[in-house]
Amino acid sequence: MLGEFEYVLITAAAGLGDNAYGAAIREEIEATTGRRCSLGALYTTIDRLEAKGLLTTWMSDATPQRGGRAKRMVKVTPKGVGAAKDFYEAITRVSRGASWVVNRGGFAS
Amino acid sequence: MTNSGWVLVEVAARLLARDEREAVLGDLVESGESAWRGVPDVFGLALRRQALLWKSWRPWLAAFGLTLPSSFLLMGASLSVSSAYQRVFVTRVAGGISMSPGGLWVLACGAVLLMAWSWTGGFLVGALSRRTLWASALLCISPCFFCLTRFRIESLSRLCLLLFLVPAISGVCQGVRLIHLKSRVALALAVTATTLMVLMWSSGGFQVLNLMLMWPAWYIAATARNSGNTAG
Repeated sequence: MLGEFEYVLITAAAGLGDNAYGAAIREEIEATTGRRCSLGALYTTIDRLEAKGLLTTWMSDATPQRGGRAKRMVKVTPKGVGAAKDFYEAITRVSRGASWVVNRGGFAS
Repeated sequence: MTNSGWVLVEVAARLLARDEREAVLGDLVESGESAWRGVPDVFGLALRRQALLWKSWRPWLAAFGLTLPSSFLLMGASLSVSSAYQRVFVTRVAGGISMSPGGLWVLACGAVLLMAWSWTGGFLVGALSRRTLWASALLCISPCFFCLTRFRIESLSRLCLLLFLVPAISGVCQGVRLIHLKSRVALALAVTATTLMVLMWSSGGFQVLNLMLMWPAWYIAATARNSGNTAG
């Protein structure tokens, strides 16, 4: 099963679609979780997920807004989508009945 | 980001692989981060990368199993070759002592063995630990420095201790580039070195500890055979 940060990263990359690369994923993670995401955590996790076959990465062409530097583009593989889905379902199952989970009426039980 | 801050970030980024450096520096430019956040970020990534490399047995074997003990032994072998050279040539020219007939043979065998041991050791270190070579280099320099400061033989130069460095560095350079070594060549190297060592043994110029210097040659021969034609 995925780790929490791995799930967050895959979800952010999947949400960004064709625009998923290091800086964009990092910004997305920081905006949605409210936590700082270090470059070390980001890139070592990307490598780990790529080694597991859950992501593929490649270097794009250099762009002027990045000082002529290339981007490391990220794409979630079907296996990655499956792993994220499994993680989400497991978390949903285990959270059922927890006091902090919002019920269908929109109120915390 | 200020210019000086950017220089610091670029220096730190040199610790990363080329593609990763490109991506990381581009990310920092794009997000407009301060140097105070960029420098520790880049150092952190480089540190994580190094830590991941040390999860493998290869850098440990190269640094502590090969470089550290071999450096001491190869300095001993270098000294031995230098002494043999002095006995054969320097003393002879001075006309003091008559040269023993086996002196030249011991010198030649010792010199070839020293080169073979140093080259194979260096090659293996380079092939096993390309990205952790700094640790192996440190573990070679430390014993050298230790022995150089304690060298007390007046008739020989201190630099005699470092004779092994030339073939060792050449081996490291070829190991790092993963030069292809044909299995027959690797095997011939290992057999020749072992034969010379046995011959040295019979002529009394051999120490049991030097057996430790043989395994890199056989390791290279074994891996060259197993993987087709590459060593390491």
